Amino acid sequence: MSLVDAPLAAGVTLGDFLLVAAAGFAVLAVGMLYRAVVGPTMQDRVLAVNVLGTNTVVILAILGAALDEPTFLDIALVYALLNFLMAIAISKFTVERGGVL
Amino acid sequence: MTGALAALGPAGAPVVAQVTAIEASLFAFVVLTALFTALARDVLAAVIIFGAYSLGMAALYTFYRAPDVAMTEAAISAGVTTVLLLLTLAKTTRIDHEAAFESVNLPAAGAAGLLFGGLMLTMGDIPAVGSPDAPIWSNPDVTQWYIAETYAETHVENTVMAVLAAFRGFDTFGEAVVVFAAGIAALIVLHREVFA
Amino acid sequence: MSGSDPDVDADAEGDPGGGFGRDRPPRSDGRLDSDRRQGTPYTESQVIMPTVKIVAPFAFTYGLFVTFHGGGSPGGGFQGGAIVAAVVFMIAFAFGIEATRQWLANTVVVALAVGGALVFAGIGLVPVALGGAFLQYELLPIPDPVKYGMEGVEILGIGTIVAGVLMGLFFVLAKGFSDAGGFADADAFDDEVGDGPGVNGDDPASDGGAAAPPPGVTDDGRTGSDASGPAATDGGER
Repeated sequence: MSLVDAPLAAGVTLGDFLLVAAAGFAVLAVGMLYRAVVGPTMQDRVLAVNVLGTNTVVILAILGAALDEPTFLDIALVYALLNFLMAIAISKFTVERGGVL
Repeated sequence: MTGALAALGPAGAPVVAQVTAIEASLFAFVVLTALFTALARDVLAAVIIFGAYSLGMAALYTFYRAPDVAMTEAAISAGVTTVLLLLTLAKTTRIDHEAAFESVNLPAAGAAGLLFGGLMLTMGDIPAVGSPDAPIWSNPDVTQWYIAETYAETHVENTVMAVLAAFRGFDTFGEAVVVFAAGIAALIVLHREVFA
Repeated sequence: MSGSDPDVDADAEGDPGGGFGRDRPPRSDGRLDSDRRQGTPYTESQVIMPTVKIVAPFAFTYGLFVTFHGGGSPGGGFQGGAIVAAVVFMIAFAFGIEATRQWLANTVVVALAVGGALVFAGIGLVPVALGGAFLQYELLPIPDPVKYGMEGVEILGIGTIVAGVLMGLFFVLAKGFSDAGGFADADAFDDEVGDGPGVNGDDPASDGGAAAPPPGVTDDGRTGSDASGPAATDGGER
């Protein structure tokens, strides 16, 4: 019996709790999507996507713990590294709309 | 969304019962990002929202325990596709729009809606995720063989990689050549003789 | 106007026409706005450059880890190659695409892509030479042939192909459409109609006059080139 099967309360294991927490972060991501869609400026969207990326890293890490799959952390790492690339790419692009790339 | 699912198909109700909270919220996120990617009037906004779409898809793949697919989605979609689309945008002119969203073409939307509805009608017949009735389990001698025998046969632990590189290596060779050909095609289309 | 000589391209783009290219009026020869942007100087960012200096080695190492450890964890050549290419994108965004292009010579990019394809085909063909089937790893003359044959295909084959091709796509897209080749295929067309290269070549501003107008404009440019070149028919920015 691994740690995620440890019961927290009646019928609720730690894994279930972590899955609910991940769902909460996914709901937050939907909320953050409002800023990415509405804008109004591109800087708002860049920040929103950056927050969404960090949010996804958290979701992936929680999923790795909840499903007892440590290798999911590899994906979270990839996203953490490439989210940075996406952020600098878009933010440098928004200056002069690609003029300074 | 879940209500619509429940109304569809004879086996619709059990499907809804098995959608967990995280699946529902990730589905909502992915559908919304896809919708706004299609509707955004400004192309740069569409590219940015498409980056967000890949985030949701990677989390969904991860939840369904397909880490290899999730990692491909992460590496290609977040790292490469966004950058290449931005570079392409840098070569185009910007058109200022008054409206934030594209006006919907009603005939196209109707056709897409019909296709969507038709596909949704088949939802009831699709086995639930992990269901023992799924066709993949109908021939367990084959499907279980890979999981049980991969290490003995190939001495690697990742079954996905073993299938890609060993059991179906010739397909993978074709895929690698396709990637190679894509690079050459880009050179031809852009009238260049060197990459750098 | 003799085609894709890189020096010609570099000169054309290195001459911003007096500081910021945007200060010039729109070109009248059908080039899109992006052509003027080619002349803009690269803007350094004091935030991005040090951050990339710190992050890039780790990202590169992680890309190599994903490639080499594909047998024991999620990942493999495709994902690892994409991450390695993304590190190059990162460096290019921080230190300038043109500088990165010169640092990472065309030879490296092509060697990665072509070498990967050759290694994959070679590993597949060695068993054939030894009397087996294509990619029959058991026949490879190495210890633990199946495992290391697969690793070789993933690391030296797929990983390098993907990394090389993605870097190449990045650089070639950043460079954009060839000024010299042109959409109307200037060389071949000019020879046919006798509209010599002098028309375009004498005026540096019209380098590749019919180079990259949208397809709808090209026909106008062709028909008008007898009289006064594409300038007469095309209004520049659309």
